[in-house]
Order: sequence, then structure tokens, then C-alpha cells
Amino acid sequence: MAWSENYRSRFLDVDLDKGRFRVSRTAFSDPAVFQEEKEKILYRSWLYLGHESEFPNRNDFLVRQVLDAEILVTRDSQLRVNAFYNTCGHRGALLCRERAGNKALLTCPYHAWTYRTDGSLLTRGKVGGYCKEMDDDRAYDLKPVPQLAQRGGFYFVNFSADTPTLDEHLGKAGEWIDTLLEHSAEGLEVISGLQEYQIRANYKLMCENSMDGYHLVPTHGSYLDYQRHMLKGMEVPSLGGHVIALGNGHSGLQSNLAVGRPIAQWMPSWGEPARTLIEQKKEELVGRLGQERGEFIANTNRIFCLFPLTLILDSQSIQVRTMVPIAHDRMISRIWLFGAVNEDPEIRRVRLEGALSFLGPGGFATPDDVEMLEISQRGYAIGGVEWNDISKGFHAGEDTADGELDQHIDNEIQMRTYWVEYDRIMNDGPSHDAQNVRVTEAAL
Amino acid sequence: MSAVVQELPRRLITRLTVEDFLYREAALLDAWKLDEWLALFDLEGSYEVTPVGIKDPETVSRAVAYFLVGDDYERLQQRIVRLQKPSAHVEWPRSETRHCYTNVIVEDENDTDVRLRCNFITRRMKRGVTEYCGTNLFHLVRAGDDFKIKAKRVILAQDVPYLHQGTVSMIL
Repeated sequence: MAWSENYRSRFLDVDLDKGRFRVSRTAFSDPAVFQEEKEKILYRSWLYLGHESEFPNRNDFLVRQVLDAEILVTRDSQLRVNAFYNTCGHRGALLCRERAGNKALLTCPYHAWTYRTDGSLLTRGKVGGYCKEMDDDRAYDLKPVPQLAQRGGFYFVNFSADTPTLDEHLGKAGEWIDTLLEHSAEGLEVISGLQEYQIRANYKLMCENSMDGYHLVPTHGSYLDYQRHMLKGMEVPSLGGHVIALGNGHSGLQSNLAVGRPIAQWMPSWGEPARTLIEQKKEELVGRLGQERGEFIANTNRIFCLFPLTLILDSQSIQVRTMVPIAHDRMISRIWLFGAVNEDPEIRRVRLEGALSFLGPGGFATPDDVEMLEISQRGYAIGGVEWNDISKGFHAGEDTADGELDQHIDNEIQMRTYWVEYDRIMNDGPSHDAQNVRVTEAAL
Repeated sequence: MSAVVQELPRRLITRLTVEDFLYREAALLDAWKLDEWLALFDLEGSYEVTPVGIKDPETVSRAVAYFLVGDDYERLQQRIVRLQKPSAHVEWPRSETRHCYTNVIVEDENDTDVRLRCNFITRRMKRGVTEYCGTNLFHLVRAGDDFKIKAKRVILAQDVPYLHQGTVSMIL
């Protein structure tokens, strides 16, 4: 949908003559809006659950909160992955209270109802007193979340059954996930040490912030000073690249800023042993993928946002970040760090060093982001001012919803595309395809 | 007086001595005298905050798990440089902190090294109060009548996997 006329809704104010694209602060500050978006967006969209490497073996399980629900993920005896609501079918107690483990049978502590890892009820503990037909329709099995699907080993859930499939939802952004798989012929795995922290701000601020090239220098000056120090005389590269709208609210940011990539871009501070290993890794990449693709995988930093609340970073390392929205002004942010399976320990070490120094609640950058998010949220609570501005790079004719590519990575198309999708769903608008037809007809 | 001191078991004398050191260490942090705090470290010293909820927080290496903080001396130095700049926004204006150490147990000592643990409750006051609680493992090396910190490992104790307080932006 390319903009050809001004637009005003509860959430957006688009003025083509002034080149303005503004978002209502009520989208961050109004508890009623938060409830509405839970119903219309969050409980009807695909949300990141976890990675296959976290439950590799038969009868592995883990418990993970997604939105308000505690989800029990299991790999059953047939090695199928399942996602159940973590509540006993009998009287509702939490079934698993450990965060992860391996058990063939899951027994509720209350009355000993016991389930197999495929969710089927095996026994009610004390037998007798029940009609034998009571559960011949499996009415008491664990209840699965309506939809569970994966892309390249990354699992997502959807709390509604009647939605587009995961692949349809991801669209072009799915290819951005596929690219991660090219990092290693042996696959990816989650490195132990989940980073999880509460932030007193709306989760959409995290989506904006994670994709925001504009804030890098003002917010992260002290991190950039550190990076200059660690480059030890190497020239600080300029911030080149682009941002792109990927459709369905997703967006991507791509840059060649040399931040050091364990795959396969060496940094002087990593030392000579790592240099040899990284050069070997690059040869392996080029051998496997060809010169051009190998170079791309080795050197390209990418951050992409999967609408509505998942971010994947492929920079100093691979990280998946997702949020648990708690209230309009509170979230829990989670970061999983990924490495290649069977990675050389020295490469793993530098991967962790790079990830540590920038991101995470004890890093040199994330704490300042947290501060910016929290003071923004407090700014909205003051009230009296209606709009946030995300006009940077905006112009009439911009295809905000899908396909627009901007060569300035400090522009804000990636945020606008998120908000256009948000606004469409919240106002019960038609899908993009239908909108395209409408716009084309209007143009005729 | 000195006769009384001499009658104390050696481990109690060590405990009193290291407690004195720890209280000075904590006071420097609360006063934001970070250069002086850094000067307490051995040049090969490290400062770490282990991942929340990890199985083996006392022994796990930062080369294999994703720590909250995993500083060798050079990064610790840079952390101190950063924290003293107004562009370290999260700590500007600076938070008020109070580091409280208790339950000091000397676990091992010889002529050169002392290893000890203590519990801590540290409060950070900035737009509200947040509290960090857990265990510190210190590896000290003797330096004349005083000590240098060879390693300070902070292990947060909590029942949920997430940090209530958002960040560990100040030094714990």
C-alpha cells in the first residue's frame, strides 16, 4: 500500500504534505488499548516459544510463559513436539512446577492424575468411583495450544485456530530465519544462560528500540567508545546498510558495520588463536555456500522484527528476543543466545564475549536502552501530549506496509510498517491484499 | 588487648580482616568511587555475575554459558570508564546504592590466597527501590597487610528466571 492521501485513525496521523507520520501515545499508555490489542493481535498471532535444541530428547519438557499462559512443551515418545496448557485436566493445578526436565510420565501433585508426554491421560491415581465411559473420548487429556508450528527449528505458538499459517504469517520474513540456518552445517543450539529481565515499559517500545538505527549514537555513545577501544587502532567503519518493510508488520535491518562475528569476521581483541579458527570458518562457509553467499553470511549483520513481539539479531551473535507483555507499562524481556552445534570452544568463547559486552542486562548497551524505554513510558504517563513522531525518511508514495527499502538505516520505515499493521488489525481493517486492490481501484 | 586477639582462632582473625576489606570495598561502590574500587583488583582480576537459574553457578565458566557480566580486567576497566560518563544514561543521574554484606565465611586460606563467601543484599534507589540478593564468592590474594581481588563472582538468588529490576547496571 503506497501512501497517496492523508490518513487519520485512533492510532495514526499521516500527513503527506508535511511528511509527518505520527503514532498516538495511547497505544503505549492506555490500559484499555492494551486489553484490546491482547484480544485482536496478541492472542491471534504467532508468538515465539522456543528452539528445538532446548528439548532434543524423548520426554524432555520445559515450562515457559507466553502472554498470560504457562505453556508445557514436551517431546513425546514418538519424538513429536507438543505445546499444552500447563494445567491438570482434573482440578486445574499446575502440572509441572519445574522449569525444565525429562520425565516419561507427568504426575499432578494434587490427586496424582498422570499423563504421558503426548498429553494422554494414563491414570487417575486412586482407581474406582468413575464411570468407565467417562474419558473414552479423551476429554481429560492435556489440552494443546490451538496451533504449534516451526520454521527451521524455531517453534511458535498461536492461541487461535483460525489464522493464517506460520509460513503465511512470516511471508518474506521467513527467509530471514532460513538465512540463520546457513551459519552452520551442523545446526544451531541455545547456549545456556537465558537472560530475562523486567522493564517498566510497553513491549512495543522494545520492538521499536531493537530496530532503531537512529538511537545508536546518542544512546550508545559510551558503548561505541568501548568498541573503539577494543578495535585497537582498526578503523571504525561507517554505518552502512538498509532497512526494509517485509510485509505483515515484519521488518528487517541489514548492515555491514564490523562488530566482530564469530561467523566469520575476526576482531583484533579476540587474539590470534581465534583468528586462525575464524579464517577456517570463513573458508568452510565459502566452500559450502559459494564466494558471494559465504561473504554475505560472514559479514552481514541483520536484525529483524517478527510482528508482533519477536526480534532476531544476527550480529555479534545470534540472539532471539521476545517479550511477555505484563501490562500496558510493563514487560518481561527474554534473550536466548545461539551458537553453532559442535562449535570450537575458542569460537564459543569469543561469541560469548561479544554478546556479553553489548547486549543483556549487564552489558554496555542494553541497560541504557532499558533506561530510554522506561523514561519514554514515564513521559507518556505525564499526559497532555498526544503524538510520537516516526517520520524519519517518510514521503508520499512510500510502500509502508510491504516492500519499501530505505538505504539509510537510521530512518524509521521499520517502525512505520509495524504500526501500519497494528493500526489495520486494531481498526478491524482488511488484509494487505484486499487493501492493494482497494488502492489500485481508487487509482483507476 | 593484643593478648585477647592472639587467643582468637586464626580463621576468626582472617574473617575479621577480610570483613574489614569487604566493608571498604562496599563503601567505595556506594560512594561511586569507582577508580578506587578498581584499584582493589589484581591486574588479572575478574568480576562476574552468573546467569540466573543456572545449575552450577559457583563453578560454571563464562566461556561456556551466557553470563550477565563476565569481565576480565580489561573489560572491567572499560566498565568503570563507561560508568563514570554521563552518557552511561542508566546511571546518570546516579542511583543511590547500599551494599550490605553478611554471613562471611572464610572457606580456604593459605599464605597467599583467601577464598570466602558472603551473602549480600544490595538496594538500588532510582525512581523506586530495587533489591538484589544473593551470594558473593571472593578470591583474594594477600598484598602486604591488605588484599587484592583476584575474582568477585556474584550469584543472584531468586525463584523466578527474570530480573525484577531490569538491569545490573551498577556494580553489585
